Amino acid sequence: MTADRFTMDVLREGFAAISDEMFTSLQRTSQSPIIYEVLDFGVGITDAAGELVSQGNGVAGFLGPLGDVVREVLARRMDLRPGDVIAANDPYSGGGTHLSDVALVRPVFADGDLIGFAVAKGHWTEVGGKDPGSWTADSADVYAEGLQLPFVYAWRGGEPAGDLRAILAANSRLPEMTLGDLTAQAACLEVAERRLAEMCARYGAGAVRAAMSAAIDRGERLARQALARMPHGVYAASDHTDTDGLGNGPFPVQVRVEIGPGGMTCDFTGSHGQVPGPINCTWSGLVSGVRTVFKAITDPAEPATDGWFRPLTIICPPGTIFTARRPAPVAAYFEATEMATDLVWHALAPAFGDRLPAGTFMSVCSTSLALTHPESGEPALLVEPQAGGWGAGREADGQHALVSAGDGETYVIPVEVAEQRYGIRVERFGLDIVPGAGAGRRRGGRGLVREYRICCDEALLTVAWGRHESPPWGAAGGRDGSPNYVEVLRGGRPAGPRFGKAARVRLARGDLVRLVTGTGGGYGDPREREPERVLADLRDELITPEEAARWYGLADSGRPVGHGNSGITDIKVDNA
Amino acid sequence: MATLASAPGRKPHGRFRLAVDIGGTFTDLVAVDTASGAVVRAKADTTPGQLDAGVLKALAQSGVPGEAIEAFIHGTTVVINAITERRGAVTALVTTRGFRDVLEIGRANRPDLYNLAYAKPAPFVPRHLRFEVTERMTWQGTAARPLDEDEAAAVAGSIAAAGVTAVAVCLLHAWANPGHERLLAAILRARLPGIAVVASHEVSGQWREYERSSTVALSAYVQPVVAGYLGSLAASLRGQGVIGPLYAMRSNGGVGSFERAARAPVSLLESGPVAGVIAAAELGRRLGNRNVLTLDIGGTTAKTSAIRDGEVRIDTLHHIGRTPSFPGYPVQVPTVEIIEIGAGGGSVIWLDGADGLHVGPRSAGADPGPACYGRGGARPTLTDANLLAGRLDPGYFLGGAMPLDPAAAERSLARLGAQVGADARAVARGALRYATAQMSHALRLVTVRRGYDPRDFAFVAYGGAGPLHATLLARELGITRTVIPPGPGHFSAFGMLASPMRGEAVRTVLGRLGRLDLAAAFAGVERAAAAELGQGTQGAGDVQVARYAELRYAGQEHTLEVPVPDPRDPAAIAAAFERRCLEAYSFRLDAPVEVVALRVSATAPAAGLSWADQAPPGAVPPSASRVVDLDPYGEPRRVPVLLRAELADGRQVRGPCVIEEPAATTLVLPGQAAGQDRAGNLVVEELP
Repeated sequence: MTADRFTMDVLREGFAAISDEMFTSLQRTSQSPIIYEVLDFGVGITDAAGELVSQGNGVAGFLGPLGDVVREVLARRMDLRPGDVIAANDPYSGGGTHLSDVALVRPVFADGDLIGFAVAKGHWTEVGGKDPGSWTADSADVYAEGLQLPFVYAWRGGEPAGDLRAILAANSRLPEMTLGDLTAQAACLEVAERRLAEMCARYGAGAVRAAMSAAIDRGERLARQALARMPHGVYAASDHTDTDGLGNGPFPVQVRVEIGPGGMTCDFTGSHGQVPGPINCTWSGLVSGVRTVFKAITDPAEPATDGWFRPLTIICPPGTIFTARRPAPVAAYFEATEMATDLVWHALAPAFGDRLPAGTFMSVCSTSLALTHPESGEPALLVEPQAGGWGAGREADGQHALVSAGDGETYVIPVEVAEQRYGIRVERFGLDIVPGAGAGRRRGGRGLVREYRICCDEALLTVAWGRHESPPWGAAGGRDGSPNYVEVLRGGRPAGPRFGKAARVRLARGDLVRLVTGTGGGYGDPREREPERVLADLRDELITPEEAARWYGLADSGRPVGHGNSGITDIKVDNA
Repeated sequence: MATLASAPGRKPHGRFRLAVDIGGTFTDLVAVDTASGAVVRAKADTTPGQLDAGVLKALAQSGVPGEAIEAFIHGTTVVINAITERRGAVTALVTTRGFRDVLEIGRANRPDLYNLAYAKPAPFVPRHLRFEVTERMTWQGTAARPLDEDEAAAVAGSIAAAGVTAVAVCLLHAWANPGHERLLAAILRARLPGIAVVASHEVSGQWREYERSSTVALSAYVQPVVAGYLGSLAASLRGQGVIGPLYAMRSNGGVGSFERAARAPVSLLESGPVAGVIAAAELGRRLGNRNVLTLDIGGTTAKTSAIRDGEVRIDTLHHIGRTPSFPGYPVQVPTVEIIEIGAGGGSVIWLDGADGLHVGPRSAGADPGPACYGRGGARPTLTDANLLAGRLDPGYFLGGAMPLDPAAAERSLARLGAQVGADARAVARGALRYATAQMSHALRLVTVRRGYDPRDFAFVAYGGAGPLHATLLARELGITRTVIPPGPGHFSAFGMLASPMRGEAVRTVLGRLGRLDLAAAFAGVERAAAAELGQGTQGAGDVQVARYAELRYAGQEHTLEVPVPDPRDPAAIAAAFERRCLEAYSFRLDAPVEVVALRVSATAPAAGLSWADQAPPGAVPPSASRVVDLDPYGEPRRVPVLLRAELADGRQVRGPCVIEEPAATTLVLPGQAAGQDRAGNLVVEELP
């Protein structure tokens, strides 16, 4: 077949299809629920220089690592042959996040020449470490977090590297699942290799190489066009992370963002140094966090390539909470990634009111509850993210109850399924109305309250939540939202203060765990909110009458409008 | 467009099974004389706002007398229209205390990953119309707290005061024990005369409270509209002398009486597309192809479904309006699985800011339509590319009823090409290659996702543009056999005629395989399916019951469905599950197997139907040969053009050639041969 200019388009479509097929293959064959249910993985193909050509993601968090991990393979000058697969989860070198995320890289050859790489990075359920499931909230160094794979061969010339499999099995609490993940992830790389080989056979390796470059360059061109239409200027934001799980903090963080004709630069210099607890991220986590916002303001829908991000420069000295060095703990790195996203977002929000709403609840709010199922007597482990309130935009009220920016195609567990599977009782699952929080001309979305009654003798609760110390930010005169928190009620009364991070909190039968996520920030002066919208919110009991009076300037007139238990009464407009 | 009937003036006689399918633009009627196999067709404009008027017009045009109709089968868009246009009833929802917001929270996912201004689907019941009552069922089906009947009565009072016209009830764990829901629904019905009350257990026996709430809320929302529509259509048909039974085509691949349809209106959502898949499965059965991949290409989308081992795949959860970036609205309604791709004849060809070529997903629709329609459309579409490539005959589109304007197509493509220094023909070729790549990737994913290999399938192509693209796609996917049924433009309507009456029941039933008394559990589901099937069968034959179980390994979330011929043989069920696992996941585990849900499908097959549909010839004959771009299987060259009717003598023709019929064009590539079988199917095969 002749390769004309439109062949580049057909091949670009083909590259996207390859990452789709890799995605489907891994989702289908993985044995880790966190891969096949939560879709906590990313796959893609790169050119021979490690520049990402196409990728498939289930969550936003894998925008950084795929190209980095391939370029690290190249930088290490590893001997590469057909049939090799390299494994890496080292958090501190290229593409590393935390030990649970294991990357596999396979070089792809056509007629003996390297034409590119297939790469996949997924969250394996178990890679050893001090706590079951490897993820934890109170590790003091990386050695407590699991087995480290510093760019080692998993397959060599098509033959499995037997030693690695033995080491993985010996270090995992679930060796079959861990080895199953290795096999499934490697299989999706083979899919990519096969499809690339078919392309080369049909169109010629030269055309495939050219199309890879074209796809990357196209991304850059489109991103630059988008940047050219943007308001140029210098923007800044500062904030504090929460405590680190070991009782330290909060810690100050900051960013300075410059958008100019040449691109966008995000400089995190001045942010706090790496911290003792596991809320640090490393370079790839920082890159993913920043790229999420860059993608949102340029074009959320276009496929992501490394070309797309060429106009983006990230500056941060080593050894910070965003660029931790060995052996800083990084198990809950996603909280620093979320903070990086939120900082850049916060800085740019005033200039991008249509694309960037006010602050969100910001945290993955990862929650784990180790229980005994009262029916079977067998152990059960509930692990889930929580959804929370998103901020209001210039035109739209904030969204209630969505997963965080770093998550994506991530689902909350149905109440009926949770009760059957874990033997707990869910007593409430609904919007949490925090009077005054997120008030604005456009109102912040409400967070959630989810209550678990413990129905077994003993349970252990671990949470690593952010945005507990400080609330989501309001924008353009809108009020801040409300913080995320967890509280335990014993005999109907709080058993202690509210908290955002805790490891292995001991719970007894009858205890109630109340998980509450925040309301997002409001946008604009609440006094400018149209009275009909305020009345509609009152009718829907999304705000209280006191809130309407105090923040929205409406006065009580005594006629009931709601049907709930809040005694809501009709409200007169008082714009004076 | 005027209505037209295939045999105007002649009054048909005999006993007819007659199907009327309402589409966006046309209302299609197909009737088969069950004695002779003769086919009658009619087409009327769809009459939005008063859909039954179009139905009656088509019926009048067909000339089939009402009393000669032995079964009337209806495919309607009334349900999906009411939902997408938000024209349903003002609806209230009553739920368990503490769970008022389940419908609004949804599953909290954000499929549009990088859109930080993402908005989730707006609920069909606003918060102030969502009410709570004190009660609690457990997942074991025991009442942890009785229903507070005084509170229920008070809620009825609030609902009466709120001006609603439909009420949905969804209590936690009603799938395990609907006792509280029944009691609550009875209280509400007694106090709310004239208001439709639908309880979740009446429409779904599955767990997951958001999905079940959404199902019952939408059921209540459309119930008054659908009941009114079907009622008035029934009255009109009776007025026309129709005395035979009236059926509606359902998403589960079967038909049900109007009464059943009115009670479970969300079961009618996908009736049209589903009927085509049923027809393809039936065709595959007749041809001895147990694995069939369907291809239905219309103006805006391509639809496909994989039929495996002779069975259409039924999903027990369907999402209305789902796209890769929007989660849609879930309904727990058994629905034949169909995957939609945003590429059809009207898909717009465009260049992005970096001069990259794209086809779709935007569509020019029917109005203005492709540039070559000459209705003012300036943007080139896939149809324009096909025309310029010689793959369509400008004088024989719809049998010559609608002349196309090749100059307009060329102008639109040339204008686009000028931006990148390419001529119109090069753009057409590029767009056709792109569309082939796009569609073949989607088709491959549909099969690969299930662990199937597309090469094990036969292709059945229909819809206006299905045959035109099918042979190219078949070769791309390694499929060696493509079948174009008779009347490819009316194939969905034939599917309705061939569809059995079908009652489907799904129940969440949890337990370990081997420990659970499956026979007892199935008995209840079978009763539900039989009740769903209802009285009176569409054709001859006994009711057939097929059982299926959704299974998984302990600890997994996703399930796989396997047929259960004998519920008393857990070892055989486990073995079938393992085979399915290896196929779908490529691994098996040494873990216990759990039952999650049981499904029973009770069918009363339609009378064996043969259709000898020979499309009426077009107004003009097509040209005897024309220049066709065979890319990527050859340069443009003059190839013979045959009328499909010419193949009736059983002759085989070799590609390259083009086979024309009024409703479709089939491209036979070099290296392929085509011929008609005795049943009138056009079969295109790769030469060895």
